[in-house]
Amino acid sequence: MDKLKSTLQSLVQPLLAVLVGLLVGAIAILIVGGDILETYREMWKGAFGSFYFLTNTLARATPIILVGLGVALAFRAGFFNMGSEGQMVLGALSAALTALYIPGPGWVKIIAAFAAAVVVAGLWSALAGWLDSKFGMNLLITTLLLNYIATLFAGYMVAYPFKDRSGSAALSQTEMIDASVMLPKLFQGMTVHVGFIIAIVATLALHFFINSTTKGYEIRMLGGNPLFASYGGVSRGKLMVMSMFISGAFAGLAGVSEVLGTQYRFLDGSLTSANYAWSGIMATLLANSNPIGTAIASLLLAALQTGGMGVERNTDVPLEISSIIQAVLILFISAKFTISFIKRKKAGAKDGSAV
Amino acid sequence: MDQLFDVSLFAAALRMVAPILLAALGGAICARVGLFNVGLEGLILIGAFSAILGNYLTGSIAVAILFAMGFSLLFSLLLAYMSINLQANVIIVGIALNFLAAGLTTFALRAIFNVKGAYYDKDMKGLPKLDIPVLKDIPWLGDVLSGQSILVYAAIVIVIVLQFYLFRTVSGFRLLAAGENPVASRSLGLNVKKIQYAAVLISGALCGLAGAQLSLGNVTMFTEGMTNGRGFIALVATMLGQSNPIGVAGASMLFGFMEALSYRLQNFSVPSNITAMLPFVVTIIAMIFFKSSGYKNEAKKSSGSSR
Amino acid sequence: MLLEMDSITKSYGLVRANQNVNFNLRKGEVHALIGENGAGKTTLMRILYGMESPTSGQIKIDGKPVTFHDPTDAIKHKIGMVHQHFMLFPAFSIAENIVIGGEPKKGIVFDRKQAIEQTIALSEQYGMPVDPKKKVADCSLGMQQRVEILKVLYQGAETIILDEPTGVLTPLEVKELLASIKALTAKGKSFIIISHKLSEIMEVSDRITVLRDGVVTGTVNASETNEEQLSRMMVGRELIKLERSEAKIGKPVLELNDVTIVGNKTKPLLEDVQFNVHEGEIVGVAGISGNGQSELLQAISGLMPIDRGTIALQEKNITGASVKMIRESGLAHIPEDRYLWGVSKEATVSDNGIMGHLSRTSKRGMLDGKAIRTLVSGWVERFGIKTGSLHTKAQYLSGGNLQKLIVAREIAQQTPFLIAAEPTRGVDVGAMEIIHGELLKRRDEGAAILLVSSELTEIMKLSDRILVMYEGKVVGELDAATATEEQISLLMAGGKAVGQA
Repeated sequence: MDKLKSTLQSLVQPLLAVLVGLLVGAIAILIVGGDILETYREMWKGAFGSFYFLTNTLARATPIILVGLGVALAFRAGFFNMGSEGQMVLGALSAALTALYIPGPGWVKIIAAFAAAVVVAGLWSALAGWLDSKFGMNLLITTLLLNYIATLFAGYMVAYPFKDRSGSAALSQTEMIDASVMLPKLFQGMTVHVGFIIAIVATLALHFFINSTTKGYEIRMLGGNPLFASYGGVSRGKLMVMSMFISGAFAGLAGVSEVLGTQYRFLDGSLTSANYAWSGIMATLLANSNPIGTAIASLLLAALQTGGMGVERNTDVPLEISSIIQAVLILFISAKFTISFIKRKKAGAKDGSAV
Repeated sequence: MDQLFDVSLFAAALRMVAPILLAALGGAICARVGLFNVGLEGLILIGAFSAILGNYLTGSIAVAILFAMGFSLLFSLLLAYMSINLQANVIIVGIALNFLAAGLTTFALRAIFNVKGAYYDKDMKGLPKLDIPVLKDIPWLGDVLSGQSILVYAAIVIVIVLQFYLFRTVSGFRLLAAGENPVASRSLGLNVKKIQYAAVLISGALCGLAGAQLSLGNVTMFTEGMTNGRGFIALVATMLGQSNPIGVAGASMLFGFMEALSYRLQNFSVPSNITAMLPFVVTIIAMIFFKSSGYKNEAKKSSGSSR
Repeated sequence: MLLEMDSITKSYGLVRANQNVNFNLRKGEVHALIGENGAGKTTLMRILYGMESPTSGQIKIDGKPVTFHDPTDAIKHKIGMVHQHFMLFPAFSIAENIVIGGEPKKGIVFDRKQAIEQTIALSEQYGMPVDPKKKVADCSLGMQQRVEILKVLYQGAETIILDEPTGVLTPLEVKELLASIKALTAKGKSFIIISHKLSEIMEVSDRITVLRDGVVTGTVNASETNEEQLSRMMVGRELIKLERSEAKIGKPVLELNDVTIVGNKTKPLLEDVQFNVHEGEIVGVAGISGNGQSELLQAISGLMPIDRGTIALQEKNITGASVKMIRESGLAHIPEDRYLWGVSKEATVSDNGIMGHLSRTSKRGMLDGKAIRTLVSGWVERFGIKTGSLHTKAQYLSGGNLQKLIVAREIAQQTPFLIAAEPTRGVDVGAMEIIHGELLKRRDEGAAILLVSSELTEIMKLSDRILVMYEGKVVGELDAATATEEQISLLMAGGKAVGQA
C-alpha cells in the first residue's frame, strides 16, 4: 500500500509540471498569434495522431531514453555527468567506422560496432571520472568541455580522413554502412527500429541494477552521502570511474543505435542538432533519476518534439514552441526539488533540532 | 611564426577576452557569496539575443546594451529566486536556466525575426570602436589596446572597480563575509539573502554585457547557441582566478588568447575543427592546476549536522 | 530587573521546545541556564537573541515590552550572544572579526587601520589581550572565544549570553574565562550562561535556572544548592546504576606503533601514537576536541592515510589498507558525527542499516530483501528505535533514534574491535543508558573497544584504561579505577602526568 501511494505521489509533480509547461506554451502561442487549441491538436496529431507518427515518436525517444538512463546512473552516484553529447557522438563515430571497416559477416559487424561504441563512449566518460578522482577536477565542468572536444574531433574525422568522397555532396559524413549491418525496423515502412527494444530492456535492467544489486546500493549511498559511503567501505574512486564508464556506455548505445538503426552512417552534426543528449539529461532531471521515470519522460519529450514538427507543418506556430515547453518543464522541476527540500526542512525542525 | 603572432592577433585576443572576462567576473562574485553559477552560459546567450533585439527595435547601441543587461538581469532574478528563496540546488537551476535560454532564444528568433539558426542584417551597427588618444600613438601597444569596442574597455574598468569594491569597501567586506560564513553573518544581523541577490543580479548584468559584446562587438549577428561554451570557460576562469577579479582577468586573458589563436591558425591551413578545440583543451589542462575544494569538503558542508 | 522573559512558549509543529518558561536577569549578575541535551536551553536563548520568535510570551527590557525580529534588534537592546559553535570568519583577521557589522569607515571605504586601533583599545580596556592582525583560522579555540566576547563588547552589549562556553576549552582556558566573567560583572556587565557542567556553574553563577523537557523545574540561588540537587532537577529521576563486572583482559586486538600524520600545519596532526587495545577492555581516549582524536579514528579505520608507523588489527597489518579491508579484518565504527559519517539522510532506515552488512544481506551480488527486513527490524525492536517503518527516510528520525540505529548497526557486526566515538552526543538520557549498556555488554563478550569522548564523565564511567591526548600525542595513560578527574584535566591541558600507570 505504501509503495502504491508513494508511486502515485511521485506522479503528481511531473503531471503538474506538464500542465504548467502547456500553460506557458499557450501563452507563447498567443504571442505569435496562433490558435491554442488547434496548435495543441496538431501537436498531439504530430506525436500520436497515426501509427506512423507514433512509431516516429518512439524512434525519436530511443536515443533519448538511452542517454537519459546513463545520466540517471551518474546522478544517482552523485556525479553531474553533462558529457552525454560528446560520449554519444564518439560512440556513433566508432560504431560507423567499425561497421564500415571491420571485415566479416553482418552479425559480427553489428556486435563489433556495439562493442566499439560502448567501450569508446564509456572510456571517454570514465576519463572525466578519473580526472576528478585523481586530480580533483570538477566533473561537471570537464564533461561539458569534453563535449566540444569530442564533437569537433568527430567532425574532423569525417571531414578529412574518413570523408565520404563518393557522392557529390559536400557533407561531412562517412560512407553508408552495408545493408547487412543495419538494425531491422520493427514494422515495415516505419522508422522505429530494434534500438527501441534495446532501450526498454536497458531501462528495466538499470532499474533492477540500481535497486536490487549491491553495486547499485553502493552507488545510491555514494550519491546520498559520499562520506557515509567511504566510512562504510565503499571506494569512491573506483566506483566513480565505473559508474561514469557505464553512464558513458549508455550514451554510446544511443549513438550506435542511431547509426545502425536510423542514419546508416555518421553525419557530422546530425546527433547534436537533434539535441538527443540534452533531451536525455532533461528527461533524467524530470524523473529525478528514476530509470523507469526517465524512460517515460523521454517518451514525453520525444512526443513534444515530433509534435512540434507537426505544428510547424500545419500551422504558423514555429516548432520551437516545443523548446519553450521543455524549458519550462525543466525549470518547474528544479522547483520540485525545492518543494521536497522545504518539506524536509520542516520535518527537520519537527525533530526538535533545538539543541 | 612572425605572421602568427602579429599585432592583430593580440588585438583580436583582447576582443575575444571581453565576453569571457565579463561573465567570469559575474561568476566570481556569485562564487564569493557561495553560489556556483552554472547558468552563465544561458545568461550570456540571453544577453547576446537581447542586444540584437534592442538594436533591431530602436537602432540605438545604448538601448541595445540596456536590453542585454535588462533581460539577463531578469533571468538572473529567476536564478536568484529559485536558489536563494526556494533553496533549490543552484547547479540544477543553472542547468535549467541554460535550457530555458536556449529554448527561448530559438523560439524568439523564429517569432520575432522569422528566421531559423541565425539573424543577420548588414545595415545593423555594431558597438562603436574607441580610439584612445595618446595610447593609440604608442607603437604596437597602441594597435593592440586602441580601437576596441567600448565594452572591452568597460570590462577592464569593471575588473578594477570590482577589485576595489571587494577588498576595500565596507559593503564588499560584508559580501565576502556572507560567503565566508553565512550563518555567522546572519547572527550579526547581516541580510545574507539580500547580499546573495545583489551578487546574482550583478552577475546577470555582467553576463548581459558579455552577450552584447559577443553579438554586437565580436560580430554583428545572433546565431543559435552562439555562446558555444564560453559560459563554461568563464566558469573555469572564475575557478582558476580564485574568484579574485585580477586573477580572473589573468585566467580569462589566457582563454581569450587561445580563442584568438584558434581563429588565426585557420589561416595556416590547419583544419578549423582542430583549431577550435584549442581553447577547450587548454581550459581542461589549466584545470589540473586548480584543485577544487574536494568532495569531502563539499559533503561536509551539505551533510554535516546543521548545528 | 534588567531583563525578563515571561511565559515563553515555542512550538515546532507538535513538539514544544519551550513551555511557559519564565526567566529573568538582574544587572551585574551571572544567571546560569542548565539542563540535559534537548531541554530547550538554546531555543530559549535564540529567542532572546532574536533568532527565533516565540509562539507566545513576552520579552521585557528594563520593564518595557520588546519584540525582536532578528539579532540586530537584540544587539540594539545591548544583548550579545556567543554561540556554542563560534560565529567567526576564519579567513579574516581578529580585528575584522571584531568590528564586523559596525565597521569604522571613511566614505564607503573600510578603514582597517582604525579597526585595529579600536581592537587594541577594547582589549586593553577589558584586559583581554589579542593580536588584531592575526587570522582567526590560526588562533586557538580559547583565543577565538576571547574574540567572540570582544566582538560582543564592541557591539556595546551589556547582557552577554554564553552558550556552552567551556566545552572546547582547556582547563586553564576555562579558569581564564571564569576570571574574565567575574571581571566583566564587576564592570557592570550581566551574563547568561548555558551549560551542563555543574561544577563550573556552581563556581561562577549567582542564580541557576533548570530546564527539563522545555519546562522550568526551578530557579535557585547558587549559594543555596548543590550539584546533587541540580542533577535531580535536570534529569527528573534517579539514574540506573551501571552494572560493571571485572574486566577479563585477553590478547591485544588493536596495536598502534609510532603512528604519525604530518598534515600541513606547523605541528603534526598525530605524533608517534602508540598503544594497544585488548580483548575485553574499554580504552577511553580523553582530550579537548581537536587534539588529534578525529585523525586517530580516521587513521585506524582507513579514512585517512598515515605518514609513519604501523597499525595492526587481529595481528594483521592494516597500515594503508582500504576501509573495506579493515572492516573485513574486524572493525566496526560508531562515528563521531552521525550526520557527517554515519548515515545518508535521504536513504531509508533499512538502506542505512545494511551498510557494512552486505555480505549477510545479499546473495551473488543481489540484495536479499527478506534478510534485510529480519536484520533491521530486529534492531528496531531491541533498541526501541522509533521509526514510521523500515522505509522511512533517515532524516525523519530524531537524533537519539538515529544514533541508536547506528549503534545497533555497528554492534551487530560482532567484530572483535569496535570504535565508539562520541556515542551519546546529543541524545537524551534514556538513549544514553541503552547505548552505555550495550557497549559494556560487548566488552563483557570479549570485544576490544576504543571509546573517544569529549565528555569526561562518560570516559570515567565506561573505561577500564584511559589515554589522554594533547596536540596529537598520547600524553598519559591511566588506570580508570584510580584516575581522578583532576589528573586527567591536567593532562588534557598539556600538563605533566602525575602518577602515570
